[in-house]
Order: sequence, then C-alpha cells, then structure tokens
Amino acid sequence: MIDLSTASDRILAERSADGDTNAFSVLVRRHAPYLRAFAHRLTGSAADADDAVQEALISAWKQLPALQDPSKVRSWLTSIVSRKATDRIRSRRPTGELDDELVAEHGSGPEQRAIETSRWEALTRVLDELPEGQRQCWVLKEVGGYSYDEIAERLDLSVTTVRGKLARARQTVVREMEVWR
Amino acid sequence: MTEASASDDVGGSGFSLDDLSDYLDRGREPAIAAIDGNAECQAMLASLERVGALSRDLVVRDASDKPGIEESWLQGVLTAISREVRAGRDIPLSSSEPNTRLSITEGAVHELVRAAGDSVEGVLVGRCTLDGDLDDPDAAVRIALTISVVLSAPIVVLAEAVRERVYSELLKHTELTIESVDVTVTDAHTLERPVEEDEA
Repeated sequence: MIDLSTASDRILAERSADGDTNAFSVLVRRHAPYLRAFAHRLTGSAADADDAVQEALISAWKQLPALQDPSKVRSWLTSIVSRKATDRIRSRRPTGELDDELVAEHGSGPEQRAIETSRWEALTRVLDELPEGQRQCWVLKEVGGYSYDEIAERLDLSVTTVRGKLARARQTVVREMEVWR
Repeated sequence: MTEASASDDVGGSGFSLDDLSDYLDRGREPAIAAIDGNAECQAMLASLERVGALSRDLVVRDASDKPGIEESWLQGVLTAISREVRAGRDIPLSSSEPNTRLSITEGAVHELVRAAGDSVEGVLVGRCTLDGDLDDPDAAVRIALTISVVLSAPIVVLAEAVRERVYSELLKHTELTIESVDVTVTDAHTLERPVEEDEA
C-alpha cells in the first residue's frame, strides 16, 4: 500500500473525497489527537469527547466531497467536532446546566495554587474550576474561534447569556493567570 | 447577566474588560484613542491576548501529550465509513451479449486514475474529476487530476509521466473517449515523515 503519511492535508482530503478510505485513515490519525483534546476541554469528559469525535469523523466522511478548501481540513473537522460535542452538551442538560455561582464556590485554595509548576497546570485548574457553561463558551470562543452568535446557536442560549458567561469567564481567567505573566 | 461588564472601567478609560475583548476581536479597528493611549488598557489587551493564545496552546499540548489513538476506536470510524461507498455515476460498457448490461462506476475510474498516478514514483494523486456525458460512449470526457510531487523532483517530467500513465490505463480498462487528461500540481511532499507526526 502506498505510503501517504507525508502527504499534505489537502491531498489526503481530496483522496478521501474521491473515496480513498486509506487516505482518510491517515487524516484521522494525524488530527484525532487534537480533535479529541479540543472536544475534551469543551465537554469536560473524555468519553463524550471520544464519542463526539467519532461521530464527527463519520459525518465528515460523508461531507468531504463538498468541502470547498481541502487544505483547511483541520479547522473544518474542528467545526464538525464542536457541533457534535455541543449536541452532547445540550442533550445532557439539565444536569449539565449547573448554577454558575454555586460551582464557583468550589475553587481550590492557595495550597493548590502554590504547587502548580507551570502556567499549563494553572490554566488547566482555572478552566476546570469554571462553571461548565462558562468553560464551554470560553473554549468555543478562544480555541474554536467562534463568534458570540455562533456560540449562542451551538449551545442554544441567547447571545446575551453567552456574553454574560464569557464576561465572567474572562474576568476569572485573566485574574487567575495574572501571576503567570 | 452583564452586570460584571457594566461596572468595570479599565484604567479610567470608560471601557470595560468586555469592551476591550470586543476591540481585540475587531482587530483594534477602528482605532479608539482612549484605549490605545491608556497604559492599563494596553496591559489588559496584552493579558487578553496572552490567555487566549495560552488556551489554544493548551489544547495543542493536550494533543501532543496523548498523540496515540486506540486501534479499536479508529476501526470504529473506518468500519462506519466503509459502508458509505462513493460509487458516483454508472458508465456503460459495451457487451456482445444482447441481454447483458455492463457498467463501471465513476468511483472505480477514480481508483484507476489514482493507482495509475501513484505508480509514478514521487507522485501522490489528490482529486480526480471526470467531466463529460458518461452515458454516451462517444461523448468526449475530460479527466482532471491534482497531484503532489516529491520535493526537488522535476515537476514537468513527473506531471507528464502521470498524464501518459493515466491515459494508457484508461484506454486499457475503460471505453471512455478521452478528450484530455489535465494534471495540476498543487502540492509537494517529502519522503520522510514530518516531525509532528512521528509520535502519532
């Protein structure tokens, strides 16, 4: 079998669009770790992330022949993953819709902060401690690059609610990450 | 919901943290002098950019910390997609038997073109399209394909070799009336695996 591991995303996406499952499997191996990491940060659950990414990839295979710019396949896949992941988030409500203020009480103390040895650990804690809705909005906006309108549509919230959640998330993240400047 | 945004005025600029975030989203356009000339606003904009970039980097780091994927998970995806065959249009083939209809699918022709192009050393085929009335055996069909060539290879020589190989394979295995075979080189690749995929 021909070695496709050095082929560009564009070539792999084009071959996949033409029905080459081997090319698609190379594409999946290349991007699945990022897609799963993104979905994990978004949903907060490794199991949900795995399922959402798997579903997204199957859906992507069907949509590939219509993909306009095959060189941007990763951001295209990320958008499908965000859709599948937010479908899961919406379907697991109301348990997922935790009270923002209540969860904020669970913040870890100064002891936890003192042992953090990197800004990555610190950011991981800060994101983990954010109320779920705030974290989802933050990840969609800052990592996914989505607009307020898009986030509102994905999470089935009003734009005003999304703005409010992002405002609070932003204050917390900026404040908590100040020491890691 | 927006009480937090209304109250905080950064550095006496009259703009809140959220206003600054919006300003950043707009690419700091149109320029607002009260923000651009305010030291606290500038520091806050830098902070916002930093935590945004850090968030994106965090996901990239998560991915490189767990670069492998389980084979069973991958198989789940591949099994599901293998049910979605891309056959495309049917292309009739002539038959000497009166009651027999033979045809080859467009998908099979794509595969033929791909294999023919890939067989030229240093070439990987991307997309292949057939343009023309495939139902009519006498109608001229234009074949177009994109290819990637190995870096530092003689591009024209490889593209010409692909064109000839595709043409002769199609003559051999189909009854298409081929008007042209257009090869477009869109990419280059190396023979070694890129560094970022080494762990995958």
